[in-house]
Amino acid sequence: MSFITLENVSMTYGSNGTRTTALSGVSLSIGEGEYAVITGESGSGKSTLLCLLGGLQLPTEGRLVIAGTDLSTFSADSLAGFRGRTIGFVFQAYHLLPYLTARENVMVPMATDKKSSREKVERADVLLESVGLSGKEERLPSQLSGGECQRVAIARALVHDPPILLADEPTGNLDSATGDQILDLFSELHGAGKTILMVTHNHWNIERGTRSVLLRDGRIAEDNPLRPVHRASRLAVPAQAGA
Amino acid sequence: MNIRKLAWKNLFRRKSRALFTGLGIFLGIGTFVAISSITMRMEGAVRDKLDKFGANILVTPRTEQLSLGFGDISLGGTQVAHAQLTGTDEKSIRSISLSERLRMVVPYFLTAADASGKNLVWMGIRPKDIAESRPWWKVQGAELSAPGEILLGSEAAVALDKGPGGTVEAGGKTFRVAGVLHPTGEKEDGMIIAGLDDVRSLAGSPDGVTFFEVAALCKDCPVEDIVAEISTKLPGAKVSAIRSVVESRKAAVDQFRRLGLGVSAIVLAIGGLMVFVTIMGNVQERTREIGILRAVGFRRRSIQSLLFWETGWIALAASVSGGVLGSVAAFAGAPLFGAERGRIEVVPILVGTAIGLALGLLGTVPPARRAASLSPIEAIRSL
Ligand SMILES: Nc1ncnc2c1ncn2[C@@H]1O[C@H](COP(=O)(O)OP(=O)(O)OP(=O)(O)O)[C@@H](O)[C@H]1O
Ligand SMILES: [Mg+2]
Repeated sequence: MSFITLENVSMTYGSNGTRTTALSGVSLSIGEGEYAVITGESGSGKSTLLCLLGGLQLPTEGRLVIAGTDLSTFSADSLAGFRGRTIGFVFQAYHLLPYLTARENVMVPMATDKKSSREKVERADVLLESVGLSGKEERLPSQLSGGECQRVAIARALVHDPPILLADEPTGNLDSATGDQILDLFSELHGAGKTILMVTHNHWNIERGTRSVLLRDGRIAEDNPLRPVHRASRLAVPAQAGA
Repeated sequence: MNIRKLAWKNLFRRKSRALFTGLGIFLGIGTFVAISSITMRMEGAVRDKLDKFGANILVTPRTEQLSLGFGDISLGGTQVAHAQLTGTDEKSIRSISLSERLRMVVPYFLTAADASGKNLVWMGIRPKDIAESRPWWKVQGAELSAPGEILLGSEAAVALDKGPGGTVEAGGKTFRVAGVLHPTGEKEDGMIIAGLDDVRSLAGSPDGVTFFEVAALCKDCPVEDIVAEISTKLPGAKVSAIRSVVESRKAAVDQFRRLGLGVSAIVLAIGGLMVFVTIMGNVQERTREIGILRAVGFRRRSIQSLLFWETGWIALAASVSGGVLGSVAAFAGAPLFGAERGRIEVVPILVGTAIGLALGLLGTVPPARRAASLSPIEAIRSL
């Protein structure tokens, strides 16, 4: 059962003068509960693929269906709403807002939600606790270590309890021990039923996934299942109240 | 956490930028409120003067000026009054159908008479009418209160070398100087002012009136109609509406207001431009932050409302504080502009705040559009 489907997707940047084809004719099908690890050389199109999957941009060609929704029917703006509900993003550089505390950063995606601020605070605190940051809710990103910042970012990605998590080199800025802890967290989330797509440079990380995808020059060079996908119970991650 | 709070947080993160963004609006609204308050006070003062002070209709006997001359050589003229005015004419004036519009009818009697050896003009007026018809008189000494008392115009006082408490001989009687007028710049500076009946008896004209000053309650009153009515009641008199000094002053106030509003408009336009420029730069700087917000699910509308809240707070704070400062400046500066007393005018503050807010939001429209059209990927990838 395919959860994420790319059909002959191409992505070209720039206009006539300086065209760069980041992806050409990529077809990929990812099932629910998979943990796909995407590798490839720098410039091979990994981030581009993730941005397409996250609906941060639309492909120049091809069809993209996520959770039964054809993204090409969306305008760029309604993609944002879709993204907010369906997809959690984790970036290499954390991308926290430096002037907000850990708790406030987690609350940012809820800014437009019709919830009382108490509910929002409670939700943020539950999530921060689940990533092991209780007691550090009031800290600014500058007062947290890199690993802790990435945990905040993961908590933020989980706010709307999205079925899909996309991570672009989430351990890229971390030492290997801290990176392992972050990867443990992803494994835990995978165990809880999230579908995960993670870009990584580190070959040691590949074994964590259920599937390995290698990109080369904007095409899929290799696509190997690593181990069977277990349909996990969704217990480890606190579900969103009312969701 | 909601968009409003996010905006608020952002402001405190960039305090000096926020201050700078609001500066133009602050100054513009300050100028606007100061000028509007002052013009309001000036207009108020002028209107008060128009309404309360001074006459706007003059009733004089119909005279014919017979010029006796040969070519350019004037041999003097003589005024021939066709009919004298009398005290009973006051009743006729008050009997017009628009009489409820008349605030005062004041008879004057003028005559030239010898005063302690100097030939001076005596002005007779009922002491009770002075306060209303000559409110600008400032008397050193006492007001006119009893028969036999006189006030001296400033020049007359010098000519006679008398001050309050002195005496003046005229027509075989002794008049006591109650007070001396501060210079008014008008003809009364050279006159002796005395009770109407005292001057009448000096001239031997017990019921004579030289002219009436009539004041109509006029904001938008039909002076022309009143003039016409009095003319029919007093066929032998010449009734004329006088364009008072006050009216020309009103024109000056109008000019001042136009100039002031022009200046405020320019300052405000600059203020709006400052908002535009600083917020545009701000959006440029925050490309990454905006990208992050977009990535976590903010719609374009949310990004825009974030920016509008930010400038909204700034513009509100800037225009309220500008308005308060402008009012205080107007309060302190009003006397310099001829308004009697400053007063805090609420309307300009409210209008100013509305304008400032509108301007701030208007200046944010282009940057907000730009921010909303930023592509989230480019933003989050630009590391
Ligand atoms: N906004 C853009 N405009 C033009 N070209 C772009 C843009 N974004 C990416 N590219 C190009 O597309 C290609 C794929 O880029 P992408 O970022 O997806 O690679 P990547 O595999 O993520 O690389 P890395 O491992 O260095 O992050 C590259 O050649 C890159 O130069
Ligand atoms: Mg990349």
